[in-house]
Amino acid sequence: MPTDSGAVALVIAWVLSVYALVASIWGGLRKQEDLVRSAENAALAVWAFTLVATIDLIRALVSRDFNLEYVAQYSSSTLPLYYTVAALWGGQAGSLLFWLAILTSMAAVVVLQNRSQNRHLMPFVTATLMAVAVFFASLLVFVTPPFQRLTFTPGDGRDLNPLLQNYWMTIHPPSLYLGYVGCSVPFAFAMAALVTGRLDDLWIRTTRRWALFAWFFLSLGNLFGALWAYRVLGWGGYWAWDPVENAAFMPWLTATAYLHSVMIQEKKNMLKVWNMALVILTFLLTIFGTFLTRSGVISSVHSFTQSGLGPFFIAFLVFAAAVSISLLIWRLPSLRSDNEIDSMLSREAAFLVNNLVLVGMAFAVFWGTVFPVLSEAVRGVKITVGPPFFNRVNTPLGLLLLFLMGVGPLIAWRRASWSSLRRNFLWPALFGVLVGSLFLFAGTGNYYAVVSFSLCAFVLATILQEFWRGTRARQAMLGETWPVALARLTTKNRRRYGGYVVHLGIVMIFLAITGTSAFRVEQQVPVKVGESFEIGPYRLVFEKIETWETPHSAHMAAQLSVFEGGRRVDTLKPEKRFYKKPEQPATEVAIRSRLGTDLYVVFGSFDATSQTATILAYINPLVGFLEWGGVVLAIGTILAAWPQRAVRGAVAWEGESRVRVEAP
Amino acid sequence: MGKKARLGFAAFVLVGVVAYLMYTGVRQTAVYYITVNEFAQRRHQLVGEGVRVAGRVASGSVKRRMTPAGEEVWFEIGDFKDDGGTTPVLQVYYTGVVPDMFRNEGGSDVIVEGRYDGSVLRAQSLMTSCPSKYEPMEPASAAQAGGN
Repeated sequence: MPTDSGAVALVIAWVLSVYALVASIWGGLRKQEDLVRSAENAALAVWAFTLVATIDLIRALVSRDFNLEYVAQYSSSTLPLYYTVAALWGGQAGSLLFWLAILTSMAAVVVLQNRSQNRHLMPFVTATLMAVAVFFASLLVFVTPPFQRLTFTPGDGRDLNPLLQNYWMTIHPPSLYLGYVGCSVPFAFAMAALVTGRLDDLWIRTTRRWALFAWFFLSLGNLFGALWAYRVLGWGGYWAWDPVENAAFMPWLTATAYLHSVMIQEKKNMLKVWNMALVILTFLLTIFGTFLTRSGVISSVHSFTQSGLGPFFIAFLVFAAAVSISLLIWRLPSLRSDNEIDSMLSREAAFLVNNLVLVGMAFAVFWGTVFPVLSEAVRGVKITVGPPFFNRVNTPLGLLLLFLMGVGPLIAWRRASWSSLRRNFLWPALFGVLVGSLFLFAGTGNYYAVVSFSLCAFVLATILQEFWRGTRARQAMLGETWPVALARLTTKNRRRYGGYVVHLGIVMIFLAITGTSAFRVEQQVPVKVGESFEIGPYRLVFEKIETWETPHSAHMAAQLSVFEGGRRVDTLKPEKRFYKKPEQPATEVAIRSRLGTDLYVVFGSFDATSQTATILAYINPLVGFLEWGGVVLAIGTILAAWPQRAVRGAVAWEGESRVRVEAP
Repeated sequence: MGKKARLGFAAFVLVGVVAYLMYTGVRQTAVYYITVNEFAQRRHQLVGEGVRVAGRVASGSVKRRMTPAGEEVWFEIGDFKDDGGTTPVLQVYYTGVVPDMFRNEGGSDVIVEGRYDGSVLRAQSLMTSCPSKYEPMEPASAAQAGGN
């Protein structure tokens, strides 16, 4: 039996990562720079060998080497090339290899970036990253080797799960993994700061961009997952509080809290312990998330099988938590902050409450997710809580968060005076109240929705007001035309205005969530060929059934003509597919999008004897804002993370207060 | 100290709100998640309770009927057995869209959620799970196909 070069590369990567871990700790503690350098070079080599293994697995997939168990399990001879490469993260072993590849790539970037800076932190940064690498490499070498050969060569593979054969699904795992793994870098620097006692905000400034990078991909990963669920699963929604979704959402919440609370540390030198705790928590949640996705411990659809990975993840989580929390407790005396909060009406307080809400949400989601396991341990019965639990807890907290999103960026530091409050919030508050009253007046009975729209309007107004005032100030002081003033305002203060743009994206996502959860129309109708039914402003006529076949799958589509106001506006063809390998049916929804509102049609079933089809139709108001909000959020994050041109490091840091002076 | 106390109070209120929401949330939405064997053992205690039961559809037990209100499905579920010869334990009634993976001849692994009225489980949701020979795959949210 041939030995795969990938398998050999993985063993070498494992050995080297163990060496890098030991050598960097040893070198760091003994202050032996050559040993630290050697460990860093080993980390680079780990990266190279992991890449060799990853490329070898991709090669095996692409060359359809079905003798390799992984290839036989997750691809087939008819699978398109695009999805064949994506099969790399379609199964367990491959996705862990992919995780390791991302982690070691990031470790390599960190090593190369810090060849001549942060030298005192680097030994422990390398050590932390390599400790995580050792864990994943161990899984790949000892527990789920991706290069397992079969004793025979099957004629064809079992194919990738059809649910994964979708555009969103191919980009969702990579972006989520980039987000997950990206959180390891701030964590590594935090650990290094704790070990070395260099507890100033150097580690925070060094990892600011990493944190944004991780947050960016976590956000996109969550959104891509939601869009995938919406387009592929065919139940009309996009978020179901499934354990796997929660697994991706929890670190996002704590990472969001962290991005806000670091600003307080930079500005006020406060919340040092809190920031450390958030970084640790976020990292642990990313590992926990990978564990949830990979172990099947929490009953989700795949509950009947449990892979053997669980105990290893638990052990690693306990180990990582024990080490990081002990370090934090050990350094607690030197993390005391010099300042305290002066007033409840201040930006510090608003940020603090925002943090508490975000962490509270993460805790509630965590609780709801592990509740079955907890209740089984305590009472001997598995008790689950469903989506209503999560909605019930998160709706009020989310609205509070939305409110704070309007308040936080405008309220003054330290202590806000009443006149400044009036100046900053009068118009936005009036606008919010106006929008809210309009909805009430129009007879909207869902008060959560009214509050949500009203708050969205409020936040939107605060953001627009900020851009307006900044632009006006530049026009007045520098005589620029407004487009120039607006552009310069934004690009000169990327972090601040990028943040506003991100907030705008979040407002849009709130609109989508509110629209779909409060005003969704759902209909389930049996129709015979030639019959029609109505939903919202539309009338749908079931014209005919179409069937066709490809080598890969068999298709059956219901052709529906869509009429609006007596005029034919569209033809929708929701499909039922039957994949030949694995023999598995799937649903292909049809969507008509207009102004962010979707008509979403699913072909439920077809009874040939009575020629009756069950059609599920939904009107999902504002759902399009989910996608657009994601785009805006992405633009804002890139803007905020984009390096400022000049090397005015320290000055750029004060950007926020400089503009305060400019604005009236 | 006054400032600190006020801040502490605000944090306390917030923690209290979260705790309250979580407590009532659990009270109102919790359902027993049991296998069909566990169900058989405590059948009498579960009358009128919300339950989520995992089991395998007994072969030959599936009856489907199209009605103006949607599709009605009757079936029985029993224990997970490798040979597929499942002894029926619980009768399930469900109206709605049947997930793609549900096989009419029986043998699908399902999770049904609803209220048990003493003889029949009236399910609001019917989810199918991947056959146990597959290892867990990435998107467990497939649970929602047909659910809720």
